[in-house]
Amino acid sequence: MKLYRSFLYAFLFIGLFASCEGDLDIELRDDDDLLADDVFNEPGGYLRAIGGVYGNLSVVGLADPGTSNLSGIDAGTGNYIRGLFNLQSLSTDEVIWNFENDPGIRQIQRNSWDANNVIVLGFWARATFEISLANEFLRQTTDAKLDERGEDAATRAEVRTFRAEARVLRALANYHLLDLFSRAPFATENDPVGFTRVPEIAGQELFEYIESELLAADADLLDVAPGNASQYGRANKGVAKMILAKLYLNAEVYLGEGNDRFADCLRVCEEIINSGYSLTPNYLNNFNADNNTNGAQNEIIFPVIADGVSVRNFGGAAIIIQGQQNANGAFQPTPQSFGVGGFGNLFRVRRELSEVFANDAIFANDQRNTLVTEDVPSDPESTDAPVPRDINIGADLLDTSSGFLMAKYSNITSAGQPGQDPTFVDTDFPLFRLADVYLMYAEAHLEGGGGSRTTALGYINDLRERAFGDASGNIADADLTLDFILDERARELHWEAHRRQDLIRFNRYTGGSYIWSFKGGPQNGSSISENFKLFPVPASSRSANPALGQNTGFE
Amino acid sequence: MKTFTKSALFLLWLIPMSFFAQSTVTGTVTDAGNGQPIPGVNIIVKESTNGTSSDFDGNYTLNNVNDGDIITFSYVGFTPQEVVYSGQGTIDIVLQEDAAELEQVVLIGYGASRKKDLTGSVALVTSEDFNAGNNVTAENLFTGRVAGVNINTNGGPAGNSQIRIRGGASLNASNDPLIVIDGLPVNDPSDDDNGSRSILSAINPNDIESFSVLKDASSAAIYGNRGANGVIIITTKKGKKNLQVSLDTQTSVTTVDNKVDVFSGDEYRALIAENFPNRVSELGTANTDWQDEIYRDAFSSQHNLSVSGSILQILPTRVSVNRSDQEGLRKTSKFERTTTSLSLNPRLFNNHLKIDVNANLNFEKNRFAEGVERDAITFDPTQPVLDPTSQYGGFFEYTDATTGIAIPNVQRNPVANLLQTRNIANVRRYYGNAKFDYQLHFLPDVRAVLNLGIDVSETSRFQEKPENAATGFNATNGDFLGSKTDTEFDTENRLLDAYFIYNKTFGSVNLETTAGYSYQKFEAEEFKTEEQRDPTRVPEVFIPADEVLIAYFARANLKINDKYFLTGSIRRDGSSKFGEDNRWGYFPAASFGWQISEENFLKNSSTLSNLRLRLGYGVTGQQGGIAADRYLERYSGSNQNTQYILNGQVVNIVQAQFRNEDIEWEKITEYNVGLDYGFFNDRISGSVDVFRKESNDLLSEAPVPDGVNFSNQGLQNIGKLTTEGIEFSIGADIVRNENVNWNVSYNVSYLNQEINELAFGQDILLGGIDGGTGNNIQIRRQGEAPLSFFTFAQVYDSNGRPIEGAYADLTGDGVVDNNDRYVSGKTNPDFLMGLQSRVDFYNFDFSFNLRAVIGNEVYNNVASANAQTGNLFRNVFSNAPTSLLETNFRSTPDVIQSDYYVEDASFVRMDNITLGYTLRDVMKGVSSLRLWAGVQNAFIITDYSGLDPEIQNDGRDQSIFPRGRTFLLGLNYKY
Repeated sequence: MKLYRSFLYAFLFIGLFASCEGDLDIELRDDDDLLADDVFNEPGGYLRAIGGVYGNLSVVGLADPGTSNLSGIDAGTGNYIRGLFNLQSLSTDEVIWNFENDPGIRQIQRNSWDANNVIVLGFWARATFEISLANEFLRQTTDAKLDERGEDAATRAEVRTFRAEARVLRALANYHLLDLFSRAPFATENDPVGFTRVPEIAGQELFEYIESELLAADADLLDVAPGNASQYGRANKGVAKMILAKLYLNAEVYLGEGNDRFADCLRVCEEIINSGYSLTPNYLNNFNADNNTNGAQNEIIFPVIADGVSVRNFGGAAIIIQGQQNANGAFQPTPQSFGVGGFGNLFRVRRELSEVFANDAIFANDQRNTLVTEDVPSDPESTDAPVPRDINIGADLLDTSSGFLMAKYSNITSAGQPGQDPTFVDTDFPLFRLADVYLMYAEAHLEGGGGSRTTALGYINDLRERAFGDASGNIADADLTLDFILDERARELHWEAHRRQDLIRFNRYTGGSYIWSFKGGPQNGSSISENFKLFPVPASSRSANPALGQNTGFE
Repeated sequence: MKTFTKSALFLLWLIPMSFFAQSTVTGTVTDAGNGQPIPGVNIIVKESTNGTSSDFDGNYTLNNVNDGDIITFSYVGFTPQEVVYSGQGTIDIVLQEDAAELEQVVLIGYGASRKKDLTGSVALVTSEDFNAGNNVTAENLFTGRVAGVNINTNGGPAGNSQIRIRGGASLNASNDPLIVIDGLPVNDPSDDDNGSRSILSAINPNDIESFSVLKDASSAAIYGNRGANGVIIITTKKGKKNLQVSLDTQTSVTTVDNKVDVFSGDEYRALIAENFPNRVSELGTANTDWQDEIYRDAFSSQHNLSVSGSILQILPTRVSVNRSDQEGLRKTSKFERTTTSLSLNPRLFNNHLKIDVNANLNFEKNRFAEGVERDAITFDPTQPVLDPTSQYGGFFEYTDATTGIAIPNVQRNPVANLLQTRNIANVRRYYGNAKFDYQLHFLPDVRAVLNLGIDVSETSRFQEKPENAATGFNATNGDFLGSKTDTEFDTENRLLDAYFIYNKTFGSVNLETTAGYSYQKFEAEEFKTEEQRDPTRVPEVFIPADEVLIAYFARANLKINDKYFLTGSIRRDGSSKFGEDNRWGYFPAASFGWQISEENFLKNSSTLSNLRLRLGYGVTGQQGGIAADRYLERYSGSNQNTQYILNGQVVNIVQAQFRNEDIEWEKITEYNVGLDYGFFNDRISGSVDVFRKESNDLLSEAPVPDGVNFSNQGLQNIGKLTTEGIEFSIGADIVRNENVNWNVSYNVSYLNQEINELAFGQDILLGGIDGGTGNNIQIRRQGEAPLSFFTFAQVYDSNGRPIEGAYADLTGDGVVDNNDRYVSGKTNPDFLMGLQSRVDFYNFDFSFNLRAVIGNEVYNNVASANAQTGNLFRNVFSNAPTSLLETNFRSTPDVIQSDYYVEDASFVRMDNITLGYTLRDVMKGVSSLRLWAGVQNAFIITDYSGLDPEIQNDGRDQSIFPRGRTFLLGLNYKY
């Protein structure tokens, strides 16, 4: 009976052999899954990691454009720029989103949001995620960590610049939180990753924190070099200054009456203007498929990059371009005319923004006026006469036959070629550009920030001459007023996610001093209360971190 | 008189003690089937504490036997025998395998138990009770037969089933039960995207001998790490001693039994004339029923051949081959399967070493047909299917008037989509196990069991569209490229179980203990070319982290006098999904059974033949359905489309990923009280179970503090869910005689689930719906059932018609806002019922299965997203459900969140009616020949206005693959 013994031994042997609890320590085998140490021990790891901090402004997750690293918000709607556009432009007289069955939209565009609004949640989560990523980069690149990895001097120099950029990107997110929420979670690289309920930073403290961060980062940042394609898209000294300028321009809003910083604003604007940027001769090149190379790269201070192949998202310029088409395919503009397949007609222009162009016939020649005011047959052979569109948007938003359309953004290059992909555009979103600085200079001057009136007038007319192609649109000295600035900002910068901030600064946003269609709800608009100058901190964020406060009216 | 009787009894009692000498008896117990000795047979002197068991050679010695003693010989799976001792020196016993008794052996995980010894809530369904009909996937053999088990099978050929035992136990993690085939836990059913239709579709239903369903935690805890949602143990058929050949063949046709009511071409023309008078000229002249066009009569056949017998009289073997060809109702959809199965069951060393080898090699070929129902429901009925002028393969498509190119974002011709798409998966799967059960020669009370298992599946899949397909890559851009993707998907699952069983009878007490070790590893790898017509795409390889599960377990069963039963078990489980400090969990269980009917006061009852009380408690663990690597400090690299451009170059970026180093087991504690009963010698029998399940530390996707982690939500152990229920089953042999038999069985279960705690008390919206981007219609809220519908309350006019956009101000604060949404229904039913009847009348047999699901709601998203006049024209004409005439609703956004679309989805369905006729001994060599015919899904009774209330999509009806009605003809042949 020896055989049975062999069975028994075999049995025991296999039992022992397999008893390896070490197998419970798994290894990541997919080349897209890495451990933190693997990332930074590989060549190019620091670039990949800072790329992740930048990338969060454009992509919503690393799997594909339809899969988000956030929850509770549709992947496309949770894109950084799309969130910013929804909160800064859709909540104003600039634009209407036709499909109010998309959750949260009605509350945003009718100024009736609450702490459970998913679009508010989407932007808050995306911006705080930017802070997390920047913190993680700073955490992984301390001197101690660099020593540990034995990095050489060249790498250290590169990392020093990246670290400064991470701080600028973090400051950018904090600036957006300040502007929209007046508060932010005060999370820095010194907080451990996990579930720490970090304190809140709000109002003046937040303002000063952003300011100090930008000033501290400046020394290590790249200089402005618009012609240098190899530095395109980097958060350089110009970007840091631009955020500072915005901070100073709106200081009274952030810090309260009497705390203006227009002089600082004007000074920083001068520094930016003198650092080498120039206006692109063609206004629309700023919003084209090749705005990274067609000359607009000299004007755009900070682009959020998109690429039809490599950098895909359902936000940024993509959603705007896809949604600009005429709902009726028989009429222009067609999706093809923008170089895309089209998602249907998503956007229309509210009457009040249309009027900043339509109220004066002179703007018929303004290149910035891309309003579609009539239905022109898309068939070039058609002899049908164009049918004028009604400037008013009807109460039923699904009836898209009235209201003007917009044709500002495009996925066609300056040479007339469509972008690489019909769904995902090549057009970078111009988050900050020089024209804005010109307008800020003029405004800061008019607000008593110093500088020269002639210079201010010159900047405005530079923009006008570019827009009109000649001096026919130039304004006279007497025309240069604050009210003019607000309207001119709308003409120059509409649909670029600035309008809400501008209206608030000019005291036209809340209350009844300025009513636009669908403001507060009704087709003809209504007054809204003061608290709608801000968005509420999302309820889910406050539940996870009770240290976060809430804005008045949303408790 | 009483005194006299007692005294007489007393005297009788004394007789053996005082007058007869005690002696010893020896003998050998053998198996009537193969003549082999049977070790471990319980040999007991009846009504005493005196007993022993046979050794490895089947020999036994029993001391202290007196004349007149009754000696019982019993062994699991054999008919017990009783012998009256009358001084024999040797009693050799030949035990007969008992078919009836065999049925009563229930697999309980790492061992077996007699059904009457069970202390947990375990249901057994054997082949005799299997459902009749076209059951292509194994689970449908017992649909409706087990109280508390809901099997919801979708309509595709060999459609996947959602199986819920006692409602599942989790919110975010898996709710699927563990499925174990001959001791091998097979791959997680949620991994069904590998080209196979479902976890069980690769398995030949004809190979299955029985299902054991472990419902409560006291029984499932022995599968600790994955027992949380119950366990289904499948036993396959084994080789037998005598040659048996069985041939089954059946053929069936399935027809469409119901369609969504939409407007016909003529009705639609009238409707447009009324709503869009200036567009009438753009309408077509056809009358197309697009739903008729995408469906067909689907023919199916199944053939099964099995041979079992003993090779050279020593090697019991079973071989089976099954071929199944199933067409789906949806055109082009098809399932083809060939399974081969080999079972070798040698018994060596006088039955000391039992080897069971099971090997299966299966081929599945699936052609998938895309869910084109939505396009078919909304496609303009005035347009024809074919358009001779079309450049898209001669199919009508909406094209741009000037360019002739297909317009984006409109319906595509659903018929073209079906006929032009070839989406085919070839799955090769082999699985099997080798089990060595060795009874130690030197210590026959101990058995050592080794079970080695493997389950490998290799899928190669492609999707192809011709160049003239309007659904091809970039077709709306004017390209004619078609489409092509290839996918390879391989999974592997390896198992090793090793355990010892010690079984010993001490007088009237029987003790069985089991202790062992289990190791299982899951690996997967996927290769995808992505769209090959897209020059920017490059192939990708996806490799999820391996999953490893390691467990140590022990169990003890104590039987006293066959009256009192105690079971205790403990399991220590490690999972690779948790970090080092949290990966081990302990899962204890205890249960108690009391055979009340064996007590003296009931023993002689002629009415009550069985009464048994069961009490059970157990803790099980859950880690299924969650990602494997959340505890690691993990970064992800970007895909080719999610990179960023820096320094003028495309940078493959990395981002840190959400992490939770503290993630650990979700734990489910369950209490169960059960009562088994039988009357009139068990002609009427059944059981009642009451249970309460508490799921704690739920693996939940919950908000995390902003700025310190890498998402706004992530996996955390927060939350609590309670499930309570009552299950009742009864079966009766109403008529039982030589020529006529009629038995009926019925079961009903009641289930109530409630969320007790969510992270931070926060509601969680979920349940995405059509008709908008990112809309949710369901909620998780404390105090409510999981998957509750969260809607506004519709306001109706005096005629009972819903008023568009008018919702009730439930908070009474004067405005209707998000605070006025309320819970208007739930997805899980209150009651499940099954009723089965079978009549054998001479050579005829007639059976039916009726099943009811009561008390659940469905959100009719087909109607809510389409049945509004505003949708009749959007870029192009769109058809709509005719229910829009009842509501006259115009705008989708104004009504999509109305409770009007939350409908009662209770139903009663006649799953199957079968009539058969059996010819016996018709010719030489044929022992029986049965011809039968049946109807599957014969009818359904429901108030639900949509196509079918039984849907899988968590209660959101977004159009389904219809089930159809199936007519079957079959033949069984036995030799």
